[in-house]
Amino acid sequence: MSLARFVGVRIAQAVPTLFGATLVMFILIRVLPGDPARLIAGPEALEEDVRRVREQLGLDKPIYVQFGDYMLSILRGDLGVSIKYRTPVINEILARLPYTIALALAAEAIAIAVAIPLGIISALKPRSRLSYAVSVISLVGASTPIFWIGLIFIYIFAVSLRVLPSSGAETPRHIILPAVTLALLLVGNLTRITRASVMDTLGSNHVLTAISKGLAQRIILRRHVLRNAMIPIVTIMGIQMGALLGGAVITETVFAWPGIGSLLVDSLFYRDYPLAQGIILFIVLVFIVINIVIDVLYAYIDPRVRETLWRGGRS
Amino acid sequence: MERREILKRIYETRRKRLWEMWEVFKSNKAAYASLYIAGFMVFIASFGPLIAPYNPNDFDLSMARSPPSLQHPFGTDELGRDILSRILIGARYTIGISVASVALGALIGVIMGLVSGYLGGLWDSVIQRIVDVMLAFPTILLAIALVASLGQGVTSLIVAIAISTFPVYARLVRGVVLQIIGEDYIAAEKLLGKGSLYIMFKHVLPNAVSAIVVQATYYMGLSILLASALGFLGLGVPPPTPEWGAMIGSGRTYLFSSPHIVVFPGFFILVSALSFNLLGDGLRDALDPKSRAMLRRG
Repeated sequence: MSLARFVGVRIAQAVPTLFGATLVMFILIRVLPGDPARLIAGPEALEEDVRRVREQLGLDKPIYVQFGDYMLSILRGDLGVSIKYRTPVINEILARLPYTIALALAAEAIAIAVAIPLGIISALKPRSRLSYAVSVISLVGASTPIFWIGLIFIYIFAVSLRVLPSSGAETPRHIILPAVTLALLLVGNLTRITRASVMDTLGSNHVLTAISKGLAQRIILRRHVLRNAMIPIVTIMGIQMGALLGGAVITETVFAWPGIGSLLVDSLFYRDYPLAQGIILFIVLVFIVINIVIDVLYAYIDPRVRETLWRGGRS
Repeated sequence: MERREILKRIYETRRKRLWEMWEVFKSNKAAYASLYIAGFMVFIASFGPLIAPYNPNDFDLSMARSPPSLQHPFGTDELGRDILSRILIGARYTIGISVASVALGALIGVIMGLVSGYLGGLWDSVIQRIVDVMLAFPTILLAIALVASLGQGVTSLIVAIAISTFPVYARLVRGVVLQIIGEDYIAAEKLLGKGSLYIMFKHVLPNAVSAIVVQATYYMGLSILLASALGFLGLGVPPPTPEWGAMIGSGRTYLFSSPHIVVFPGFFILVSALSFNLLGDGLRDALDPKSRAMLRRG
């Protein structure tokens, strides 16, 4: 199968999932107690006004027609109008998106910078104290509530030491604490996978051959071990995007970081449901797209993977 | 050999296997210790009100935000309520919600997995697409969306977390079903006229049970984090319920002057989640060393 065809197949496979995710969001709004029309018209609105809003929103039509309309408008990139801001949801999302992207990239960069070297070193010396410490840290990391550790960081670095700002996004220094907090969510798993993957590759035949050829250790490591070990590492980074995006919601709230995560939490408190569901749907779309990109990326790196992916279905 | 003799041997082998598992589990010191810690958390969740020194909702503004002392070992919160008592009683929310949501999520997931794997065909396709869609949502986001639409409260929190976490069990159980469905002894049972339910309970579930138990233990850790994160965001149980995450959420305003309000509940969340994750590792090694790759810590 050609790469182009694989990309096509992978996108086609994602379509039902996308459709399903939209359906889930649609059902969730319908389950919501309360009448969206009344919510938009305001608490003091007359019955007349509420009816007009209901007609405007198409809420008087049969439910399947509503779902059809909803799907069509999403396909046009129209996620509805925010109740609080009275602007298109997509505009609000795009305005806040750069902050979330910056935070996610910074967190991922920190996680990679810490986890990959740690994982490699502890794979090379599996019985060392460092390797043991890595297991402990990775476990504690997976069990730490990030909203709590974020607050602890604020207390240590902003209140006690006064070296970093506690919240907001005015200067580049403001990103440090939220990015480190979010990175903690990723480091543990990433280190564990890196270690396991490097250890696996170290035992494989082509590495044994390279060793018996007498190649220098550094060359073996770089040319034969790391290159092959990267595949599972890239995969886990894709899977972690979900944790990263979800974690961003909490981290942004803790640090008042003005991304789409804190916008989501705000919108829930204002009962701005069009905005909330728009953000959630948007994040799910991003998550699905990233997973496709990653699948394609390593089909590109490794033709063997392309075959397994094709047979095994989704990632 | 006599029938009774055979049965006796079977029971002996089983007892021996259980004993071996226990030995493997005990040799993992961290897991063994975490059994006691997790047990302690479940204990305070059950008997919190009996051991709490104060009423968790008794406020005394003259004592507000006092630091830890002999009288109040963890200090008091912004309304002068005793934090230790609130943690002891809050355990039944944080831990209780997690236990209930893990049980419900496992139940839904196992049933879906069994139906999916055993009936196959259309059932399988439909259920697997549902699972795909659920997995397309980052867990916490799905939980947030569900809680927002179900409304605040303990029940909706349990349902939200259960729905956000069931897909992994469904995958797992379906895998086990597909694995053993082709075995000769299943064909033999079918020839003997045994029904589907009998085969599921007698053969399929016992084969899946250790993987389910390990996954459920990991999900206890995850659910504790999810429930408390929702509480922190103000989407979980409504105030003045002393749910641990909600305690941190309402105490964060006073972080600069009174960090103890935030520190102690968070410590309990961390220790509980950690103990269940360690317990999961220990159980995995003891019960199910082969299926490492299939299980997720969350």
